Amino acid sequence: MAWFDNGWGLSLIVFLPIAGALVILLAPKKNLTAIKSFGLTFTALPVLLAAIMIARFDYGAGSAFQFGTDLSWIASINARYHIGIDGISFPLLVLSTVLTMLAVIYTFNHWPEPHNPKAFMALILVLGTAMNGTFVALDLVLFFVFFELVLLPMYFMIGIWGDKTMMKVPGFRIEAETRLYAAIKFFVFTLFGSAFMLLGFLALYYRSGEVAPFVRTFDIPTLIQAGSQGAFTGTFAFLVFGALFLGFAVKVPMWPLHTWLPDAHTAAPTVGSVLLAGILLKLGSYGFIRISLPILPEEAHHWAPAIAILAVIGIIYGALACLAQSDMKRLIAFSSVGHMGFVMLGISTLTVVGINAAVIGMVAHGLITGLLFFVAGSMAHRYHTREMAKLGGNQKLMPKMGAILGFTAIASLGLPGLAGFWGEFMSLVGSYNPALGLNLGVFRTAMVVGAIGTVLTAGYMLWMLQRVNLGEPSGEWGSHALVDADVYELTAWVPLMVLIVAVGVFPKLVFGATNGAVAALVAKAFGG
Amino acid sequence: MIDYLALAPEIIIAATAVVVLLADLWLVRKYWTAIIAVVGTTAAAIPLIVMAVSTVGDRELFGGSYVVDPFALVMKGVFLMAGYVVLLMSFSYVESDNYYEGEYYFLLLVSILGSLVLGSARDLISLFVGIELVASPMYVLAGFRKGDLKSNEAALKYYLLGVLASALLLYGSSFVFGLTGSLTFDGIASVAGGLVHEPAFVMAVLFILAGIGFKVSAVPFHFWAPDTYEGAPTPITAYLSVSSKAAGFVALLAVAYRAFGPASATWAPVVWVLAALSMTIANLSALKQDNIVRMLAYSSISHAGFMLVPFVVAPYVGADGLGNAVAATVTYLIIYAFMNLGAFALVIAGSRKAGSGTVDGWAGMATYAPGLAFLGAVFFFGLAGIPPLAGWFAKFVMFRVVLTAGSGWAVGLAVVAALNSVVAIYYYARVVKAMWMDPVPATVPDREVREAAVPVPLALALGITAAIVLVVGAAPGLVTFFSDATKTLAGGG
Amino acid sequence: MVLAAEEAMMHASDGGWLAQGAWLIVVAPFLAMVAIVFFGKRMPRKGGEIAVGAMGFVFVYSAALLILNIANGVIYQHSILVAQLGSVSVEWGWVVDGLSTMMYFVVGTLSFLVFTYALGYMKGDVRETWFFAAFSLFAGSMLVLVSAPNLIQLIVGWEGVGLSSYLLIGHYWEEKENSSAGMKAFYTNKIADVGLIIGAIVLGTAVGSFRYSDILEAAANNSSVLVPVAVLGGVLLFIGAMGKSAQFPFHVWLPDAMAGPTPVSSLMHAATMVTAGVYLVARMYPLYAGMAADMRVLIVIIGTITLLIAGLLAIVQDDLKRVLAYSTVSQLGYMIAALGAGGYTAGLFHLWTHAFFKGLLFLTAGSVIHAVHSNNMSDMGGLRKKMPVTFWSFTSASLALVAIIPFAGFFSKDEILATLGHNGYTWAMWIGILGAFITAFYMGRAMFLTFFGTYKGEAHVHESPAVMTVPMAILGVASLIAGWVNIPGVYEGFHHWVTERAITFTSFSAEGFDVPVMLTGLGFALAGVIVAYVIYFRDAETQQARDRIRIPVLWPLLEHKYYLDDLYLATLINPIKGPIARAVNWSNSYIIDGVVNGAGVVARLVARFVYGNLDQKGIDLAVNTAAIVTGSAGGQARRLQTGKVQQYAAMTVAGAVLLVVAIVIFT
Repeated sequence: MAWFDNGWGLSLIVFLPIAGALVILLAPKKNLTAIKSFGLTFTALPVLLAAIMIARFDYGAGSAFQFGTDLSWIASINARYHIGIDGISFPLLVLSTVLTMLAVIYTFNHWPEPHNPKAFMALILVLGTAMNGTFVALDLVLFFVFFELVLLPMYFMIGIWGDKTMMKVPGFRIEAETRLYAAIKFFVFTLFGSAFMLLGFLALYYRSGEVAPFVRTFDIPTLIQAGSQGAFTGTFAFLVFGALFLGFAVKVPMWPLHTWLPDAHTAAPTVGSVLLAGILLKLGSYGFIRISLPILPEEAHHWAPAIAILAVIGIIYGALACLAQSDMKRLIAFSSVGHMGFVMLGISTLTVVGINAAVIGMVAHGLITGLLFFVAGSMAHRYHTREMAKLGGNQKLMPKMGAILGFTAIASLGLPGLAGFWGEFMSLVGSYNPALGLNLGVFRTAMVVGAIGTVLTAGYMLWMLQRVNLGEPSGEWGSHALVDADVYELTAWVPLMVLIVAVGVFPKLVFGATNGAVAALVAKAFGG
Repeated sequence: MIDYLALAPEIIIAATAVVVLLADLWLVRKYWTAIIAVVGTTAAAIPLIVMAVSTVGDRELFGGSYVVDPFALVMKGVFLMAGYVVLLMSFSYVESDNYYEGEYYFLLLVSILGSLVLGSARDLISLFVGIELVASPMYVLAGFRKGDLKSNEAALKYYLLGVLASALLLYGSSFVFGLTGSLTFDGIASVAGGLVHEPAFVMAVLFILAGIGFKVSAVPFHFWAPDTYEGAPTPITAYLSVSSKAAGFVALLAVAYRAFGPASATWAPVVWVLAALSMTIANLSALKQDNIVRMLAYSSISHAGFMLVPFVVAPYVGADGLGNAVAATVTYLIIYAFMNLGAFALVIAGSRKAGSGTVDGWAGMATYAPGLAFLGAVFFFGLAGIPPLAGWFAKFVMFRVVLTAGSGWAVGLAVVAALNSVVAIYYYARVVKAMWMDPVPATVPDREVREAAVPVPLALALGITAAIVLVVGAAPGLVTFFSDATKTLAGGG
Repeated sequence: MVLAAEEAMMHASDGGWLAQGAWLIVVAPFLAMVAIVFFGKRMPRKGGEIAVGAMGFVFVYSAALLILNIANGVIYQHSILVAQLGSVSVEWGWVVDGLSTMMYFVVGTLSFLVFTYALGYMKGDVRETWFFAAFSLFAGSMLVLVSAPNLIQLIVGWEGVGLSSYLLIGHYWEEKENSSAGMKAFYTNKIADVGLIIGAIVLGTAVGSFRYSDILEAAANNSSVLVPVAVLGGVLLFIGAMGKSAQFPFHVWLPDAMAGPTPVSSLMHAATMVTAGVYLVARMYPLYAGMAADMRVLIVIIGTITLLIAGLLAIVQDDLKRVLAYSTVSQLGYMIAALGAGGYTAGLFHLWTHAFFKGLLFLTAGSVIHAVHSNNMSDMGGLRKKMPVTFWSFTSASLALVAIIPFAGFFSKDEILATLGHNGYTWAMWIGILGAFITAFYMGRAMFLTFFGTYKGEAHVHESPAVMTVPMAILGVASLIAGWVNIPGVYEGFHHWVTERAITFTSFSAEGFDVPVMLTGLGFALAGVIVAYVIYFRDAETQQARDRIRIPVLWPLLEHKYYLDDLYLATLINPIKGPIARAVNWSNSYIIDGVVNGAGVVARLVARFVYGNLDQKGIDLAVNTAAIVTGSAGGQARRLQTGKVQQYAAMTVAGAVLLVVAIVIFT
């Protein structure tokens, strides 16, 4: 298995999907079976490989990068194909492989209009490569390329298969098709952020050459080493952190850079929303943990209170916005703002507990909100509306679907014993007792506000259930023959439900991998 | 004695040009002229390769005024490739209209010859000769759609302004000679350092900059470009936006880093302004274009701006930094060349199918020409600089150079560039969006037209460029391998 | 694993295999739930039998544990590490000591009996299977809560019972008000839980562990790390307890919770779940008895307020279940007050007796409702003859609640009153005695209106089936004898059971009989019954009319529940749901997004300007300058149709010249 451990395993996980995309492009347009089987194969294999890694991962050395390799890529700028996973990226990588496969399975009988399975499947696979790649990249340039690679597929997914209804751009006399507005907004908004992120990367590259004994490098571990030795300080570091912040915060998204999210999630086809919420948002918060914090620890310290404040604003703001939604998908979309707020709150504490909380929060949000979007999508597919006012009594019409929606909503409000709880609770623990030197007043206030946020979260989630699931179904559905969750849907959903319970009851599944890595990170960057 | 190997490419192209002209007289089937031209261009590449692999170092001719160094080799390679693709694009295009094919290819070859000369030019005279040799045939070709009034105007404008620019160039050159008593770049460089406070010298430098600025169509010397691009035959537009622009940059690189290297503090601020203006004004203007060619015209102006950005670091960096700056511009130039050629090839193919060259006219192309729609995404998002398409790397190296110069001015320009690259996305995405996401308009011709196969040569041009854009995006080393070789231009001074 | 602090108490056993296996009673209900979900529908009793079977096991096991504890005391704790985050460890485990065995037994017994009762009561219900699954979920969560060795697991169970409460209150979710009642319960508790969660974090972080054993040991040793946070932590945890145990001002959810099926009201909202708050305070008692003693007066105040206002509200209810619900709130007030006054045993003792008789009261109420198909006493009356078992069970339970010697409630309530008096809370004691009067009054009222006089309903009344009456009969007996386990001077076993704790602390209960207090209490109780008899025994047209006559002053206030619900709605819920949420959403669309879209629009406008003016028209202007500079009149020369060559040319020159001028000046 040496070949497996020395980079091949990871490389396969990363590149199998895009290889599948190429194969599918060659496949005949008519042959749906071929497209399906290729799609499944090239997403199932990564899951298999990830499973092998779960078995072979050295949890004792969670802080070390494993299964990695470091090859020359672009010699002239000293950018390398350096990949590897540690305890922090590992769970996220697994999540991404699994979610991609489930998305493919779900698509089998949910081809969005316009019906073009070939292109749609190919895009899912390209996304898979982009997401997996971001989590394994240990070189800033490589990271950048994968980070940006998610944009094109998602842009086309939203723009081509998205919601075709007309919308009015609030405050302007502009009418636009929802999908088109959402697609370009997502695209330009994100690129705006990542343009500055790129400048930040290059600035780090430049400065890394100035401090002995380092030569100019994009290598993340090396930069972390330099950062922990105080290579990046002062105004320079402040500006660089700001640039990276723009790039990552837009992706997370942090208030007030979040407004692309509700539109994108609402407009995207079901699978698009699932992957968007499930994985893409994590790329931002992962960037903070992998790059911003360890490379610029001093600045992280300066920025932490600001991040914490924005995070809790996001929590409350997102929850309140949810209470005002009439569109089910949009409500779920806004809930992401709140949940990612807890993730960012955890990160901002710069503590072992907080960052661990952030990672499990990401995993949990990926599972839960991913599942929520699955169900919401399937319901919109059947009811042909997302207006909660029109729904109601779903529990009666589609008992299985209703039960799953109920379960997921409960999980989403952070019920202890399910996955969502740990991220919220532990980030509160972290912010009660943040890293040394951080303003206790700010963080403890943040903790209280965050805790109140959980109440509001329960508020809108149960309210959504009441409006969608409970009550007597309105007459107009009586005529429709509504089929309950079908086998494809259940195949895609049950694994997620199992994982939600498993992580909730036995959080070691995630913490077991993360804790060592996070502890090492914090010790190195913030001296414990 | 003369090193004929060094001159072989130029000689072959010249010969081919003559042959084409003669063949045109006897041959009945005109497209043979095209084939001859292609063969000639391909043949001209052989001596380049020979020289590239040979162990002999730089080859100096005519007392150092004509040099074949890595820079020259690489640029000539690019010119030949570009010319080759343009020829491929021309085939069907020229056939479709009643052109004088012989003359067409003759003139094109002459222009290519000029660009080859320019690649080696290391003194003001050969520089001027090269520039004129590139430009003059274009004055004619720009107006080659004789029936079309627009085309004639395009030619006339281009001609008048081109002559003016040449005049400025010549005027400046004469001053330089007067002040330095030397024509060769190295000779000028040896004394230029002492003249930076000599107003006449400054003026001369700036006149030369202005002259070249016209060739690369940098704001505010760009006013000819949109009209001319729109009016000229599309392959010629492609050539103008790539080869002739590249020629301008070759000249600028040589002059700036070789001749006026020591005076960089004088011209760098000017370039700063030119770059900022070109990027910003062109981008904003491009937002308003509905005609795709016109949009590409403005886009090429803004790209010129991006290519100018690395120049501004010259005063702040050492030899190694200068090398990087040269390499950055060259890298950008190469990648841009293929993306843009591809885009224009696409315009030819797409306009034929859609029966229109406007963004709205291309709406819904994905439904009847998915292949072209895919290429549209490749080229336009490539030009937008979005990974994994080649364009990202061009921008990346550009940013890398300015941000590693350690100068606030450079960083400032980098921010301007970053914002511009975001703005640019909007108008590129607009075309792709139309092709993929909008309903097919009524103007689209009926099935046999819109679903007719793309002519082979054109398809070949599209294939080559697309392949390069995709591969280079994933493996940029393929480009840096060549562009790094050009660092010597600055280092060797 | 035995804790260091336990070395002191060598007499206590570690329980052996029985204690080590106690996790089984926690897991069993969950297994039952899973089994019911998957196979329930196919079973003859729709899965109910599985649930009852599991509860039977829990009952037997918990009985065994109780006996073990009575025999030779048990102190056992086991924790399994499920996650380590830096210094914070997450552990699942179970505690077997005096307090938890008592709770196990209460939960086990009541669950077993009520589940059995539910077999009959829920027969043919729309969602029988679902009901038993959720009910099992509750039992499991409750046991997770009780068995928790640390605050995190407590929170898990705590929210778990909250969830099952939400699910079961809204069992008949076809009607909006039912699901709303469920949400109200969940929200109210969730708000209080903010206190619990923060309190847990504060204490856990200070001590560096979430284990009770560590926190309480620190508390017992007046550890310096706890000094700054002990009182704060105590208050925060108590806020959590106020929510679960429906203390003022959080009590509003419990009466609405009666929307759920009666077995739910009986088991969860009377006997067990609502006592979780009391249990929490008792569990943390070493803290409250010691370092956090200063805030105990708050507990007493809350408790007494609750017992009084809730008791009064019970008087005016027509819905029998609501009478009992307010009565529950009131009795919980007694327990809380007792704990606050230092009566650890007294509080728990009342929890114990109350569980039996109040659980039973709801079962009998359910039986009656089952028969008359109405919750309202105005539709009942004269059921004494028709439903003998129900009647006698009700009577027994009522006497226990009214605290008539020798029924269970007498002993526990008397001990509470005595404790209040002896620990310097005389005012609270008198409120308690007044409360005894009120309790007697509303119970008498309920009794007479339901079982005496003439039947006013339509439905054909019949006694409930054995599966329901047997559990009632059993509890009827329990309501009599449950109090005999702690008779001062006679047998004070209960006190010893529940003080079998790892961490010792000083409790001030078990004062022994205080005859004057006892007699006063008894007197007030009897007085209450008599007054009720006088007013309600003889029939009259409708009883609301009577209420209005008898309770002129209080009536409007009570009818509107002191306007508390309206207050919450007006000041909290509606503003948040309405204007605030809308404002946020508005700001999202019009302010934040306004900036985003605005940027796009501005970009277009700038583009139009640049293209139109700078790039195209601006040239004309430039021409003339250029013309002057170049000295040529080119700018005025004739034009081509559309092009502006001279202008372009001039512009080019101008560009060059201007640059020159600029640079020459600046260098």
